[in-house]
Amino acid sequence: MGVETRPLSTLHERTSYDVADFPVPTGREEEWRFTPLRRLRDLHKGAEADGKVVVDVDAAPEVKVETVGRTDERVGKAYVPADRVSAQAYASFAQATLITVPKEVVATSPTVVTLRGEGGVAYGHTTVVLEPFAQATVVLDHIGTATYADNVEFVVGDGASLSVFSLQNWADDAVHLSHQHARLGRDAKFTSFTVSLGGDVVRIAPSVAYDAPGGDAELYGVYFVDKDQHIEHRLLVDHTTPNCRSRVDYRGALQDEGAHTVWIGDVIIRAEAEGTDTYELNRNLVLTDGTRVDSVPNLEILTGEVAGAGHASASGRLDDQHLFYLQARGIPHDVARRMVVRGFLGQLVDKITVPDIQEQVRTAIDKELDRGGASGAAGAAKQAVRGASDEPGATIEQELDR
Amino acid sequence: MTTAAHPELEGLGRYKFGWADSDAAGASARRGLNEEVVRDISAKKNEPEWMLDLRLKGLRLFGKKPMPTWGADLSAIDFDNIKYFVRSTEKQAASWDELPADIKNTYDKLGIPEAEKQRLIAGVAAQYESEVVYHQIREDLEKQGVIFLDTDTGLREHPEIFQEYFGSVIPVGDNKFAALNSAVWSGGSFIYVPPGVHVEIPLQAYFRINTENMGQFERTLIIVDEGAYVHYVEGCTAPIYKSDSLHSAVVEIVVKKDARCRYTTIQNWSNNVYNLVTKRAVCYEGGTMEWVDGNIGSKVTMKYPAVYLMGEYAKGETLSIAFAGEGQHQDAGAKMVHNAPNTSSTIISKSVARGGGRTSYRGLVQVQEGAEHSKSTVKCDALLVDQISRSDTYPYVDVREDDVEMGHEATVSKVSEDQLFYLMSRGLTEDEAMAMIVRGFVEPIARELPMEYALELNRLIELQMEGAVG
Repeated sequence: MGVETRPLSTLHERTSYDVADFPVPTGREEEWRFTPLRRLRDLHKGAEADGKVVVDVDAAPEVKVETVGRTDERVGKAYVPADRVSAQAYASFAQATLITVPKEVVATSPTVVTLRGEGGVAYGHTTVVLEPFAQATVVLDHIGTATYADNVEFVVGDGASLSVFSLQNWADDAVHLSHQHARLGRDAKFTSFTVSLGGDVVRIAPSVAYDAPGGDAELYGVYFVDKDQHIEHRLLVDHTTPNCRSRVDYRGALQDEGAHTVWIGDVIIRAEAEGTDTYELNRNLVLTDGTRVDSVPNLEILTGEVAGAGHASASGRLDDQHLFYLQARGIPHDVARRMVVRGFLGQLVDKITVPDIQEQVRTAIDKELDRGGASGAAGAAKQAVRGASDEPGATIEQELDR
Repeated sequence: MTTAAHPELEGLGRYKFGWADSDAAGASARRGLNEEVVRDISAKKNEPEWMLDLRLKGLRLFGKKPMPTWGADLSAIDFDNIKYFVRSTEKQAASWDELPADIKNTYDKLGIPEAEKQRLIAGVAAQYESEVVYHQIREDLEKQGVIFLDTDTGLREHPEIFQEYFGSVIPVGDNKFAALNSAVWSGGSFIYVPPGVHVEIPLQAYFRINTENMGQFERTLIIVDEGAYVHYVEGCTAPIYKSDSLHSAVVEIVVKKDARCRYTTIQNWSNNVYNLVTKRAVCYEGGTMEWVDGNIGSKVTMKYPAVYLMGEYAKGETLSIAFAGEGQHQDAGAKMVHNAPNTSSTIISKSVARGGGRTSYRGLVQVQEGAEHSKSTVKCDALLVDQISRSDTYPYVDVREDDVEMGHEATVSKVSEDQLFYLMSRGLTEDEAMAMIVRGFVEPIARELPMEYALELNRLIELQMEGAVG
């Protein structure tokens, strides 16, 4: 047709295992321009691994867990790195964690992978393979501190079903850059839940590819961004086969000076992918001054035969009417504010199917709300509440119980 | 659809404005760009020194800036093959009859003198190649102090206004094509509306490229003083040639306190024109800036009319409509920058892609710190009528203030079998039904156009949709 002479999508132009194929980012590139490169501690310039992230797996009894060398042929098959740090991680990891759920096996409990940072620069790789018709839940819990770059592969076989929870519970000074790629077989189901709360710079790039029709991916994310924290999510859903479905819903709250969130939601519907049904949504709740939200839902559609395609992005502050409604019923301002924030994020938290994690996320969000309020409107409101209750530090439950 | 079976459709779907006039001026014009060309243009126009300096700076920056690669494919533009300045006639005509026969004939065919006679427009400017060949404004407006001139004359007669505003909204080095325009600009409209004056019927400009490989670089400057109102309408056409032409305009608008400006474009260049345009308005306290942007023609369009909301309660609105047929890429959108409290912006974009064409919405909404209580709504809808066309959405949102409301929504849909069936069961042919659905889809924007343009748009949709089915 003549219009298109360059690669199909301008969103993700190249993939390679070779670090040298990606020039060192300068911060002017589209894919890097929102990221504070100076705070990456040279991860993008090939920093030497001098630290450690200890991997500990508490697996379901039906699941096979192996630690394999980088030459293992089952590793690195599903995903080809798409940026420099990802390629660096792929070139630098020493051992990979390989989790296999055999054919038709239903895991009876979640498999929890704890990645504990012990400081310094580290690179990692995780591969999760669900053979056809298997079902499993995998939790990736990131704790401690590290300067960590890794790639995670999810291979979901025909008819298999995988739920993944990626929890970024890092300490305040951690830097984490991660690509999490899923390949879906025929009628495979993939649900991912990304919860980004801790860390100094966290940049997670979940992506989904479909190998056969009938794939269904749901990508959810909850994040809470504090003072001087940079939390970035870059999603890519690439519809290359007919009759697949994707849903993306990411929500976050921001508070205090220098809190910055970036959300890039790329969806490509290629000409072959007729009957695609996709919707992506990002919502941000801005709690104080001095924050910054970048929200970019990109959509590239190359066929008219879609079942549905849309996206939406909204950013705003707490709705005065909601607060007024609650306050009119005798709930103090600060408690009302928390209720609204919890309600906003809670719609997603409710979808977490593992009760332990759901509780953990709820508690973490409350903690975040406690942390905020050192400045701005939240601070003033909090003081007002404290003045009323004379009980600083009361948790939301206590206040509600009274 | 083959026209053999429908001889009555033979003439349809053809670009109506694709004829070319004889071209002595264009044939002798020089190709390529260097400092000499820029100095030559400036000398021909007897410009003041500062303007020449600005042009040379533009040329320098144009050479330095890389080609933008983030949008449409521009790799086929051959800057050395472009004719940067073509003088079609020695002097501006005072009436249509004084124009050289070819040019007059062109504008007759486009129906411009007729519209003027019928007083449908308050003033008219006609730009042919690089310069404005005809210019007229109604006497009553002139008496009220409204200035409507071509930009070259404007610079000669009002140098003080130009020194203050020219390049103030869009700096010389804003982007590669703004730099190019600054270096070789010629023609365009200059409008000044004094405080409180309402220009009730639109001022109109008509741009025509006739020469093959022509580069048209008009420069428009509009200043709407406090409490004033103006509606400016521009239309663009060109002949069909085998090789490409380039249109790279810069439009700067200043909307002062409580003023309102509406700028309507119906861009219908032939399918061998690269249309790379920078349009931006600054809008002060209580002012309103409205862009109504229709992109129907051209090979590649990259155009994102911007409003910088600088004063409290300023309002920006962009209505954008794009059609892309075979071989066309319409990369259009809008940009809204909230710099003051209580500002609001609305972007409504509708696009239709067919026959393998590609439409992209690319937009930016930015809320700077301190712009509290700002509101922004962005809605883009795309309609795809076949399997080979393409529609993209790249909406950037950047919020640096907590007290704002931002919303973006997009839908992409295809024309449903149900809708077609419903209309066809009432006796419409498939083509008619399709055209009716598309007209309904763009109606919210079409109704904002002056009537004769709305009719024209509807007609163009019918032509575009002809043969879209089957």
